[in-house]
Amino acid sequence: MSHKSSRRDFLRAGAALGVSALLAPRLRAQDAQPTATAGAQGAANVEMPQSAYKPVSLPNKTNAKPRLTQLQRDELERGLKCACPCKLDVFTCRTTDFQCGISPAMHSDVVRLIDGGYSADEIVAAFTTVYGERVLMAPVKEGFNIVGYVVPFITVGVGATMLVALLQRWKRETESATPAVATKSVIPIAGSIPDATDDELRRLKAAVRGESDR
Amino acid sequence: MILLGELSLWVALLMAIWMTTVSYAGGATRRGELVLSGQRATYATLFFVVMASLGLWTALFSHDFAIKFVASYTSANLPKVYLFSAFWAGQSGSLLFWCLILAVYTSIAVFSNRARNRELMPWVTGTLGVILIFFLATIIFAANPYERMDWVPPDGRGMNPQLQNPGMAIHPPMLYLGWVGTAIPFAFAIGALVTRRLDTEWLAAIRRWSLISWFFLTIGLVLGMWWAYVELGWGGYWAWDPVENAPLTSWLCQTAFLHSIMIQEKRGMLRKWNVTLVVAAFLLSILGTFLTRSGVIESVHSFAQSPIGTWFSTFLISIFVVTTILVMTRLRDMEAKAQLESMVSREAAFLYNNLVLVGIAFSVLWGTLFPIISEAVRGTKITVGPPFFNSVNVPLGLGLLALTGIGPLIAWRRASVANVRRQFMFPVFCGIATGATLMALGMRAFYPIVAYILVGFVVGTITQEFFKGTRARMRMYAENVLLAGLRLVGNNRRRYGGYIVHLGVAMIFAAFAGFAFKKEFDISLKTGDVFKATDPFGHTWTFTSQGVSEFKRLNRYVTAIGLAVTRDGKPMPLLSSEKRQHVDSNDQPTFEPSTEVGLYETTMQDVYLVFSGMIGPDQAEMRLAFNPLVWWVWYGGMVMAIGGLIVMWPQAEKKRQGGYVTVLTPGAETLSPVGAGAA
Repeated sequence: MSHKSSRRDFLRAGAALGVSALLAPRLRAQDAQPTATAGAQGAANVEMPQSAYKPVSLPNKTNAKPRLTQLQRDELERGLKCACPCKLDVFTCRTTDFQCGISPAMHSDVVRLIDGGYSADEIVAAFTTVYGERVLMAPVKEGFNIVGYVVPFITVGVGATMLVALLQRWKRETESATPAVATKSVIPIAGSIPDATDDELRRLKAAVRGESDR
Repeated sequence: MILLGELSLWVALLMAIWMTTVSYAGGATRRGELVLSGQRATYATLFFVVMASLGLWTALFSHDFAIKFVASYTSANLPKVYLFSAFWAGQSGSLLFWCLILAVYTSIAVFSNRARNRELMPWVTGTLGVILIFFLATIIFAANPYERMDWVPPDGRGMNPQLQNPGMAIHPPMLYLGWVGTAIPFAFAIGALVTRRLDTEWLAAIRRWSLISWFFLTIGLVLGMWWAYVELGWGGYWAWDPVENAPLTSWLCQTAFLHSIMIQEKRGMLRKWNVTLVVAAFLLSILGTFLTRSGVIESVHSFAQSPIGTWFSTFLISIFVVTTILVMTRLRDMEAKAQLESMVSREAAFLYNNLVLVGIAFSVLWGTLFPIISEAVRGTKITVGPPFFNSVNVPLGLGLLALTGIGPLIAWRRASVANVRRQFMFPVFCGIATGATLMALGMRAFYPIVAYILVGFVVGTITQEFFKGTRARMRMYAENVLLAGLRLVGNNRRRYGGYIVHLGVAMIFAAFAGFAFKKEFDISLKTGDVFKATDPFGHTWTFTSQGVSEFKRLNRYVTAIGLAVTRDGKPMPLLSSEKRQHVDSNDQPTFEPSTEVGLYETTMQDVYLVFSGMIGPDQAEMRLAFNPLVWWVWYGGMVMAIGGLIVMWPQAEKKRQGGYVTVLTPGAETLSPVGAGAA
């Protein structure tokens, strides 16, 4: 049993290696950071870099009048991502996480711009200029971003086309390989029972019993 | 024990290396003693991984703050249940937890196959050994939970308050049990590819493993949604976060596989596709871990800062390359005579279903990765949030829901026009009746109406299948309704268990559609102030502030708002939401305050209260929401899990085959072994 003795040697060597590694200096530093393991995090338990907030301001338009209702404003804020690390939109963050100082500040900017007579599109554009595209909860449908929106549908469409072509090929091959003899048809009993006569049911029951006896 | 645990990690790595080497060598040389040695090394690896895990738990329970992991995720006053779950609160601990589950699964797979699949098993054991080596090496060299601090702090940092929730104590284990479960089918697929035994034998070996993985992933996903809903306080249960998307993609691939496996079992088709799905599910589980643990999603550049990023990407690429080579060199072995008699058949329906499932998995993965792609291509960081995922996945999801109802109605091989008409009549009627009723009640939103029509259709399909099957049994065996129904399910668990899963899916889709009608209000109340609101069902509610109270409980200071509630003038339970400031054992604040939502749940809707904070001495700010049909998400998940349990419950093969589908040839009626499983 030579393999047994070599295994024992191997284990001994392995244990020695493990002990020596323990005594050796620690190998690498490890980041210690709290990590939620699912879902969007509230702002409450992530570090809040106040520098993430950048003021967005524009001069008031002449004879400025607010052009958005409160509901439209809330909807607009749902499309803007809070600059804190919470991954929520400004509206949700500011109304559910009072510890975040950034979403209220961004909200104030939105309100000021609305009061300054700016439309939703203009406000979004102003935020995008200051924060970059990352401030939008979803990329705008233009330029390279269009690829993001259409690729899933193109993929499924191409997949569907290929699948239909494949199924048709299989069907043709099956038809050409199968002579026109009495074809078996598979019918769910559950589906066929309601149309079955008592005689058919009796014969089927007998068949079931016959099978189970086998 | 702690030192022993640390040492055990190294010994476990050596055992895994031995296990892999001798198993592969045994498989290649067909030497039984090497294979046997590999099997024994599997159990030894499990033993040492268990020791390593016990060591970490000991460190957590004994508050050994010299260990960085313990100091980072616990504090002396952390409740004991959370000391236990702190094991998976951080990166290195969760990797060890992953490893523990994998070692347990590997041992079970090796033990349960000790007298079966003998040609495959050396390769299966060796492949599982490779995965164990990867995880153990990553833990030891890149994310060691036993890493020591340079100094010993008097107390730890404490656990993130959002993780101090019963859901978080069980959600990650469920998710990991599902995710890690994809490794076993993957290892069998590698074994089948290497040995070129690509018939249905390996599928029989992995079917239950795939179901176990799917079952736990389902529970894990639903529990994750529940935790997000009750703990995070933003009012929803799914945010299309990468951490949520990663297990969802694996779940979708597993679901596709559990459908397509039936076609290979019954017709010998789709061998290449099934191997691909098994491999994809495993790769997605590794990719998901990589995406969520490496920091790559935040920025392409943060990837290099993560110690585990390089390990995971190297492993992922290696596995992908090796598997691709194996598949490409075995294509001829996977050729099967495909037989398809009609485009309108159960086989075709399963393939359409696979297309949509994999399409959704791809679109979720694509959306998750698109920020990285955009940053790499344009150098611009973008956010891909719920609006993107909803616009892409809602249409695909509705397509999937439609197929959930269509599939079971179509016969295997070929569905005649008469068959289709007869089978579809009742479900289509149910769908139309549902849509018409809702429109008559004033519902106009397009997607929710389509969703409810399809839910009605799917429920109609399931009802019809159960009704016909039960009635058939009552006629054939003179059984009463209850007995016939129970035996119907019991004698054909795969088929009817599958229908129960479909029912759960329909319940969840109904809940998703209902959420479109949520109503929310931002309110600010002083003690005694009253707020009136009308819910989506037209009931009038009043909320009277009972004022704010402050108290200390366990390891936290609590500020709570209480609202006295009435619905249509009738008193309802008090609604209370809290802000919690967690403290360490020195009464020092740890983390920012967290929110505990107030919930009043009924089957129709939840009243959801989030205490935002105080804006004056007696002025509380809060958000109040009526969230329709949320209950159906949790119970739909339960129904899916119960259906999954029924499907995977062991059943004698002969009994299973004597199911409810028969092959009738002219002049003779015989039962066919094609009888089972039609989910």
